[in-house]
Amino acid sequence: MSKMLVSYATLGYPKENEYLEFIDGCVKGGSDILEIGVPPKYAKYDGPVIRRSYKQVSSWLKDIWPLLKETRDRVKIPIIILTYLEDWLPVLDDFLSNLAKIGIDGILFPDLIIDYVDDYEKYVKKIKDHGLKAVIFTAPSVPDPMIQRVSKISDIFLYYGVRPTTGVPIPVSVDSLITRIRILVDNKLVVGFGLSDVEDMRKALRAGADGIAIGTAYIEAIEKGGVQEAINLVKYFRGVLNEF
Amino acid sequence: MAIEREEILPKYWYNIIPDLPKPLPPPRDPPDAEFSRIDLLRKIMPKEVLRQQFTVERFIKIPEEVREAYLNIGRPTPLMRAKRLEEMLNTPAKIYFKFEGATPTGSHKINTALPQAYFAKAEGVNHVVTETGAGQWGTAVALAARMYNMESTIFMVKVSYEQKPQRRTIMELYGGKVYASPTNLTEYGKKVLAENPSHPGSLGVAMSEAIEYALTNNYRYLVGSVLDVAILHQSVIGQEAMKQLDILGEEPDILIGCVGGGSNFGGFAFPFLGAKRGEKFIAVGSYEIPKFSQGDYMYDFPDSAGLLPMVKMITLGKDYVPPPIYAGGLRYHGAAPSLSLLIKEGIVEWREYSEPEIFEAARLFAEAQGIVPAPESAHAIKAVIDEALKAKKNHERKVIVFNLSGHGLLDLPNYESMMKRLLK
Repeated sequence: MSKMLVSYATLGYPKENEYLEFIDGCVKGGSDILEIGVPPKYAKYDGPVIRRSYKQVSSWLKDIWPLLKETRDRVKIPIIILTYLEDWLPVLDDFLSNLAKIGIDGILFPDLIIDYVDDYEKYVKKIKDHGLKAVIFTAPSVPDPMIQRVSKISDIFLYYGVRPTTGVPIPVSVDSLITRIRILVDNKLVVGFGLSDVEDMRKALRAGADGIAIGTAYIEAIEKGGVQEAINLVKYFRGVLNEF
Repeated sequence: MAIEREEILPKYWYNIIPDLPKPLPPPRDPPDAEFSRIDLLRKIMPKEVLRQQFTVERFIKIPEEVREAYLNIGRPTPLMRAKRLEEMLNTPAKIYFKFEGATPTGSHKINTALPQAYFAKAEGVNHVVTETGAGQWGTAVALAARMYNMESTIFMVKVSYEQKPQRRTIMELYGGKVYASPTNLTEYGKKVLAENPSHPGSLGVAMSEAIEYALTNNYRYLVGSVLDVAILHQSVIGQEAMKQLDILGEEPDILIGCVGGGSNFGGFAFPFLGAKRGEKFIAVGSYEIPKFSQGDYMYDFPDSAGLLPMVKMITLGKDYVPPPIYAGGLRYHGAAPSLSLLIKEGIVEWREYSEPEIFEAARLFAEAQGIVPAPESAHAIKAVIDEALKAKKNHERKVIVFNLSGHGLLDLPNYESMMKRLLK
């Protein structure tokens, strides 16, 4: 099976029409899965670029649901919602049932097993009870036995963020980090956080990653040259993944 | 058969993060940050040091050049039995200590200063900057910088600068430039002085000044504790101690260390924890800087200006200023995230002792073993004595191992101050 390209978009970024154009381009460009970021109050593990995109969208997007539904209706590949559990705790059941109702496939809470580790199983069950897939986020700061445990219950794939925050090119040895956990992961392994450097990407794939998640690079491309430039990047990354 | 020093000195550093009971909350940028602290790290720290901070693997190879440098400063440090202390306490317990005071700088701090300086030099850095409280870290950085032919600038907490002229002399002898923080050399220092011209300084303030100074001049900052990479490097202590105990055929029951930011404790205890050896781990802090009993476990800045990313730790707050008259050390406002997590999980116990208690312990230890301990290490000694007396009461032949993190030969003004205030 070919390697998975997981493309991230901030819901509504930069404006509604361009956002829709971009997600269409993500699909046409060869993405296997679409990750949609719902602007949080505190983007704990996001770098300046994605934070900037949230800020811009928050200035005009007051109701996320019509746009999420529109996203679902035009995209056939699986859609995963990415947002922080912290924000939705008070209304979690409503939030999850609304997502399920409009046909979203799954959800990824980056803070689930870091800030809510004592209750994570309860939340995973809740997500699944609502008929949604629970994609679990892990990082090098998660101990080995726990990576092994959650890899078995994560749906679709296990997400592994190799840097402490999105988009910031902190020097890390991507291959060493993947080698450490590859044998523990009983699932598809998707690697993200600062992987827009194609050499890093190749290293990750050679070390055993089943897919790559990309976000910041698209937003930077949109900032720099508009949506078409970001769509070109999707195609380019697809090409790199197809080498494997 | 004699065992070669080279065989006891480990070939790898050990990182406990893959073996922690729970995920370690990662460093992060504050909400609505006007700039990314995580991004700023790339301008502050040597690249390889930063890579080691975030490339979390259980074992990381120690470069051969760094092992040679470790051997050159006398590693492995001795593991000694405190037989006379046992006799004086009349305890059935056996007491061993790893003597980190045996390095040229007199403390464990050199264990991370050397690799950080080595990596900085390899990247073409020619000037490193840091902060220091008591002067142990500053001395280690000044020596490490000299060994790799780099300049060093050290921001020393003002009260210590005034009370510890000898530490300053050593740093200057090694070629370091030493300033009393808060200074007028940085914007943050000026701000602190504008608010309070007689501010005694704190490690948090000196840290911020060192980072700002490094940034402005495009130098690099070396980190003495708290961050995982410093504890990683310190793991040579515990790994050596394990081998040395093996040679003696001893199995440790109780492991004890003092905690400023947590690097000597982590370096000593974490390899034992990872190898599941030892039944009880005790981290000892100061009653006067009560982070364990009164601190909160939360995200906070390691430095007062908030230039470093927030980390989740037990903390008294980044703006905490320790009581100026207190001479016992361990003044840092927080404890390393990994150690904080282990304490919160109940795997490591904590104790806090007051200045009179640690002073008595230091006196007893000096009398028994002849070594003048650093006031910091005297906190660990006090816990050792208490555990040894408990073993006596319960008729248990416990093996107690502690880390004597430094000697106190340059802390005599502290002891003088304690003698004046505490001896009637």
